[in-house]
Amino acid sequence: MRRAITVIVSLAICAGLLSGCWSQKELTDLAFIVAIGLDKTEDGKYLVTFQVVNPGNVAGATQRGGGAAGVPVSIYTSTGDTLVEASRKASEKLSRLPYYAHTNLIVVGEEVAREGLSGVLDAMERGNQLRPTAHLVIARTYLAKDVLTVLTPIDKISANQIIKTIEFSSKNWGETVHVDIWGAIHCLATAGRNLVITGVTVEGDLKRGKRQENVQSSVPDARIKLEGLALFKNDRLVDWVDGPSSRGVLWLLDCIRQTNLTVSWKGKKEAINYQVVRAKTDVKAKVKDGRPVISVHIQAEGDVIETRVPIDLSDASMLFQLEKEIKKNLKQEVEEAIETAQRDKTDVFGFGEAVHRTDPRLWKKIESKWHDRYFPELDVTVTADMYIRRTGLRNKPYTPRG
Amino acid sequence: MIGEMGSAQTDKGGEIQLERIKINARQMFVLIVLFEHGSAIVIPLGTSAKQDVWIAILLGLALGLLVFSVYGRLFRYYPDQPLIVYMQRIVGAPLGKLLGIVYVTYFLYIAARVLRDFGELLLTFAYPETPLFVLNAIMALVVMYGAYKGLEVLARTGELFLTLLYVLALSGFVLVLVSGIVDLSQLQPVLEEGWNRVWKTVFTETLYVPFGEMIVFTMLFPYTNNPAKVNRAAIAGMVFTGVNLAVIAAINMAVLGPDAASRSAFPLLDTIRRVQVAHFFERLDVFFMIALIIGGFFKISIFFYAGLVGAAHLFGISRHQRIVYPLGLLVLLLSVAIASNYAEHIYEGLKIVTFYLHIPLQIIIPVLLLVIAAIRRRFGSSAK
Repeated sequence: MRRAITVIVSLAICAGLLSGCWSQKELTDLAFIVAIGLDKTEDGKYLVTFQVVNPGNVAGATQRGGGAAGVPVSIYTSTGDTLVEASRKASEKLSRLPYYAHTNLIVVGEEVAREGLSGVLDAMERGNQLRPTAHLVIARTYLAKDVLTVLTPIDKISANQIIKTIEFSSKNWGETVHVDIWGAIHCLATAGRNLVITGVTVEGDLKRGKRQENVQSSVPDARIKLEGLALFKNDRLVDWVDGPSSRGVLWLLDCIRQTNLTVSWKGKKEAINYQVVRAKTDVKAKVKDGRPVISVHIQAEGDVIETRVPIDLSDASMLFQLEKEIKKNLKQEVEEAIETAQRDKTDVFGFGEAVHRTDPRLWKKIESKWHDRYFPELDVTVTADMYIRRTGLRNKPYTPRG
Repeated sequence: MIGEMGSAQTDKGGEIQLERIKINARQMFVLIVLFEHGSAIVIPLGTSAKQDVWIAILLGLALGLLVFSVYGRLFRYYPDQPLIVYMQRIVGAPLGKLLGIVYVTYFLYIAARVLRDFGELLLTFAYPETPLFVLNAIMALVVMYGAYKGLEVLARTGELFLTLLYVLALSGFVLVLVSGIVDLSQLQPVLEEGWNRVWKTVFTETLYVPFGEMIVFTMLFPYTNNPAKVNRAAIAGMVFTGVNLAVIAAINMAVLGPDAASRSAFPLLDTIRRVQVAHFFERLDVFFMIALIIGGFFKISIFFYAGLVGAAHLFGISRHQRIVYPLGLLVLLLSVAIASNYAEHIYEGLKIVTFYLHIPLQIIIPVLLLVIAAIRRRFGSSAK
């Protein structure tokens, strides 16, 4: 009898304790926030935008055969002096409990970025729901709120669309970079490295972008597009770089996986296209006469994938010549990037870190004046080895004979 | 089961011999490894040495082994008695009893501290809305139950859990490496601020936690069936743990960088949270949770058990089971009462406990005991 009672009581205790119902929340009571946008209002408060998934309209719509049930995401905004305040205040509009564990994208408005990121990221690092691996982008020209309102056709949740675009574009083209909250804080807290973040903007008619019709047309009225890199100095955005020099920045950060370089050949511009398959950048610091010097060495392998001029690619000496041309192009790209950063007086390449590693004592002395005094006058030598390994399925291009 | 270990016995010296059960050297090794990993893998251990943390841990291990040789020698003098008993032989009954009370209090207090660590960790990152008392009480119940069942059960449980923990640790290690977040250049420059910073960390942190805490095993060594092998098992356990901890600390540093690692409340958690492999292996926080709960359980259990048998010896209680619940409740209440917030708790741990408890009780008193015991052995027949 006593034994039976003991068993029942301990089972009851286990049932009570092990079910973990202390802070249980039902799935239908949660609002999954996939993206957060940060802007400033006119009176200096934060305007926080939440992109919330409409679960029924994401998975269900395809199963039901693409019926236009409704929009896949809803946008909520709220204002507050701090992010957490704004987030809690959003409950006045939101019928469910905001849940941040699936937040994967943070869009920071350009204005907020120009005023400074410090104070913005703390809550994201400190809280236990939001992941430090969430991506960070800067809304260029438009507000973060505008970017998040645009509906996107292929990946229905625009946060996912932006993240995937960053991922594939940085792998294949290399003018965008993946920065997460964690990496951003790391850069902000490191003296010898400043932050670079990809910009995102809206192309087309913003007003029509937020309607469902936007994704029902084969040419959407508004699209989200990645554009340029934001260079930060300390925690403030100071400049944008675009095109080749933004890729130059990423070469220096060793973020290039694959990309294409076009070179001119015998007077014809953009004649031959070289595709990088593998690349590696080494940054080394040395001290010469008490001053730091940086040497950058870039090594890449790849193929020729397009020619617009008659060239015999089965001739190895041709390839060596071509390699030289490619090297020249690359060096120009990289040097332009360095010049831009030196003009902006912000070391986004982590050259300071390299100096720190080589000579901690010298670094101690120059650390405080690094970005403003030493970096702009820094001697950087760029060397490169660009190997052409293969030339595709043809060794000579066809010649049209009419 | 209770029958086999309950019966009180008196040995030749007239001391009470609790728990006749014996564990073997391998089980001792397992307990030491679990105990030493315990909270050391989850708390920021030695991060004040920044990127040189791994050096600080290895030096802590080296000095820890030196300190342990004192305990090992004392054990060889009195192979069938725990610290609290032979202490009375070395310095005489009144002083020995007083010291015994101090040690029992120390063990129970540290058990309460580790319990608090455990609760704070869970609360901070997994259960923000649960009261501390509830989490601690659940853990304390399990610890009390384990202690009630005795050392042998604890050791066998340990063998099971060490396997699980090790499978997790290895797969976690591989995932961290594969996900490409390890940047070894963050460990440079080595010895940026010279040896001073490293030694300071060794002498204020890594020597005492976890290596100096081996003092608690002087209470458990008599329960082994092969005293000759115990020292070797203990040293193997310490070296194994020390190397593991140094590797973990180096990886944390290489993943997070000196700044983030030293700002983090739980560096290992941050490292694990950054793992992303193939969009599939990510958000592995549960690895950390399991390590935390297993390690926490064994660390609290062993401190608690040592305090328990110590108290039983001191007060002549024949079965340690009789005081499990009162002392368990004491530890539980203490764990909630010792500090009003996490910062205070950590401050006490680093600044007060180290200097007023760890240094005297882990190093000074054992060394003095050894000196007195050695003198008595050489010069007198007073030590029978």
